[in-house]
Amino acid sequence: MSFDKFKDTIEQGDTVILYLNVNSMHAIQVQPKIKNKKDEWVENVFQTTYGALKVQSLVGKKFGTKVALSRGWAYVLHPTPELWTLTLPHRTQIIYTPDISMIIFQLEIRPGSVVVESGTGSGSLSHALIRCIKPQGHLYTFDFHEYRVSVAREEFETHGIGQYVSVKQQDVCQDGFGTELNGKADALFLDLPHPWEAVPHAAAVIKDLGKLNQTYRFEGQSNDFLTVEGLPKELSVKMIWRDVYTNSLFTNF
Amino acid sequence: MANEMEKNNVKVGDYIVIQRQNYTKLHKVTLKGIVMLGKDQLELGPIIGRPVWKTYKMIPKKNGKRVFVLKECDNYESLAEQLKKDVSCGSDNRNIFDDGRSQLLSTEEIVSLRTSGMSGQAIVGQLIENSKTFRDKTEYSQEKYLKKKEKKYFEYITIRWPTIRLITEVMYRTDPLKIMGLRMDTLSQILTIVGIHTHGTYMVYESGCQGLVAAAMLNNINIGGQLVHIHPGNLPQKQAILAMNYDNDKMSCLISVNIYSLLRKLQENSASDENNVEVNKKESVINESFLSESESDNKAIKNEENSSNDVIDTKENVITEKGSGSGRLVCDSLKKDDKEFVEEKEITLNVVHERKRKHSDPGESMSKKPRWELETEKAADFLRPSKADGLVIISREHPSNILTALLPYVAPSRPFIIFCPYREPLLEIYIQLKRKNNTVGLRVTETWLRSHQILPSRTHPDILMSGSGGYLLTGIVVECSTSTNTQESGSSLQ
Repeated sequence: MSFDKFKDTIEQGDTVILYLNVNSMHAIQVQPKIKNKKDEWVENVFQTTYGALKVQSLVGKKFGTKVALSRGWAYVLHPTPELWTLTLPHRTQIIYTPDISMIIFQLEIRPGSVVVESGTGSGSLSHALIRCIKPQGHLYTFDFHEYRVSVAREEFETHGIGQYVSVKQQDVCQDGFGTELNGKADALFLDLPHPWEAVPHAAAVIKDLGKLNQTYRFEGQSNDFLTVEGLPKELSVKMIWRDVYTNSLFTNF
Repeated sequence: MANEMEKNNVKVGDYIVIQRQNYTKLHKVTLKGIVMLGKDQLELGPIIGRPVWKTYKMIPKKNGKRVFVLKECDNYESLAEQLKKDVSCGSDNRNIFDDGRSQLLSTEEIVSLRTSGMSGQAIVGQLIENSKTFRDKTEYSQEKYLKKKEKKYFEYITIRWPTIRLITEVMYRTDPLKIMGLRMDTLSQILTIVGIHTHGTYMVYESGCQGLVAAAMLNNINIGGQLVHIHPGNLPQKQAILAMNYDNDKMSCLISVNIYSLLRKLQENSASDENNVEVNKKESVINESFLSESESDNKAIKNEENSSNDVIDTKENVITEKGSGSGRLVCDSLKKDDKEFVEEKEITLNVVHERKRKHSDPGESMSKKPRWELETEKAADFLRPSKADGLVIISREHPSNILTALLPYVAPSRPFIIFCPYREPLLEIYIQLKRKNNTVGLRVTETWLRSHQILPSRTHPDILMSGSGGYLLTGIVVECSTSTNTQESGSSLQ
């Protein structure tokens, strides 16, 4: 439910983002018990630099409000793909929001699009793609790593968006995307060590007038293609007070 | 499903993008369409009724001027491929001396070749034959030469269906100032950060961007979602929205409202009819007086507005030359008391009152509500109970007061984002917001974008690069806490 629709109040099983400050955020699963390192079920208490939070107490609180920690407070925010990108557990190097936005823009993805993605990685881009294409669209995502596939599948289910995505374990460079997808994709995205190996398979899958996008350089024929790199620069804004000298000495030049 | 629109056949009244090599132009299809592509005039008759993504060859009309008719063809042939095959090349440029006289044909001769109706390929072939140095150039140099000539003599065009990506490219390239320097990467970030769900409600305050941001947001919303498009003045800038050829279903998700009308509607309780009328009259005065430059831009598309019945009763003959005096006035503080607010503005705008205008007959307003008022009510109804899921502000005016006025109508834990071509207004707003406790996650960012040339052994970043794509202030709305804690990060409770 968490990522599918917005809601006002936190319920059992939701993912919430605990916001401490602009550089410190954590994704928490609202459940009464959690497994610790020794694989034992213990009470779900989340520790921060501002104190502890009994996660179960979040149930019933409203998103966007302050919650008390034992030595301070924090905000609980509704999960979004952007916040998830900043807080998700990394299994691979992920793609961040500026690149994600460029990808979605260039691929012209809209509600109802059928998108194919490989590799899934940690699912950062996947969450943003799903938000864009639901409810009628579908995301087919592939990764050759068994563990990553199962974690991704589980995450999509927990986040309430499992119905919009199919995760499959497959080496798309060797075996392609599966013939059932031929001619079905509006957009295809490759983030692989050797994307050129997957290109012939990609060509079969993309519809007439579909789009192909990769994170690495791509040499070859294409109707219309563009290679860009983007770098976001964040400005640090500070209020600094300075004295102003008004002595007559300074004005008699 | 998403590409069904692109399989459309071209109809009269559609907007299309005409592409010739890298040059793209937005064009509205008319029955006897003629379009200028650089210095060439094309007659677009043959494209009507044909699917998009077709390529057409430009065939000169043989009357000496550069007028062309179009003939459909399967594909275009690259000049470089054709002509390079038969020519040998040199290994480096040590013996090549550029004295400007390597081309034996004179300018007049070349021009006459062109007007004689010779095909582009033949002309370039002639140029190569009459060039002293072509055979000595390296292979890469020959390719570059041919590509350059191809640009000039290319005689194929492709008809494409407008998409946000294409329109942004066209507008940014033609005149970036018309869209306030909103580069595509910044626009893409706006769309992702505001996080559009198809069934959400979103507010966008837009002025000075030709409707591009509203069109882009509308692209991702379907029936069930709403986009409240807020603008100064009476008519929104709609160029990009029209260019997207949105169907009626999509357009039903869009509500365009004037900012003052909307704010008043959101703030009023139940006013009596009498008050309403008086307020309406004064409101129409204010609406006109705050016409920004968007009005003069809108004159060009006013005809289209008229035909779609979007014009307010009182405004028919009113758009006179207001001049720049009345434009760009920023409302300093929107007072809750309607009357006080109205009077304050009337004092400062006495000049405007002198001009000719038609007022709505009070009797008329009472019996039938004008369309803009119905739209405003509709928008207010969406925003009052459950507030918006996101807010985008991209304005010529200083965003500060606009943000203050609209932020209360964004639900908690939802993003808002402000675009500005300069950083200073955003820095001011950042400081202001830090003092209140109603937002978190504040960031001011700018993106740096560079494109690359990709060719075998010649891959490198492009030499020319855009300086700035504008700045963004983003944040998340939270419920204002009642505690007096002014620090952002959690500190110990007293």
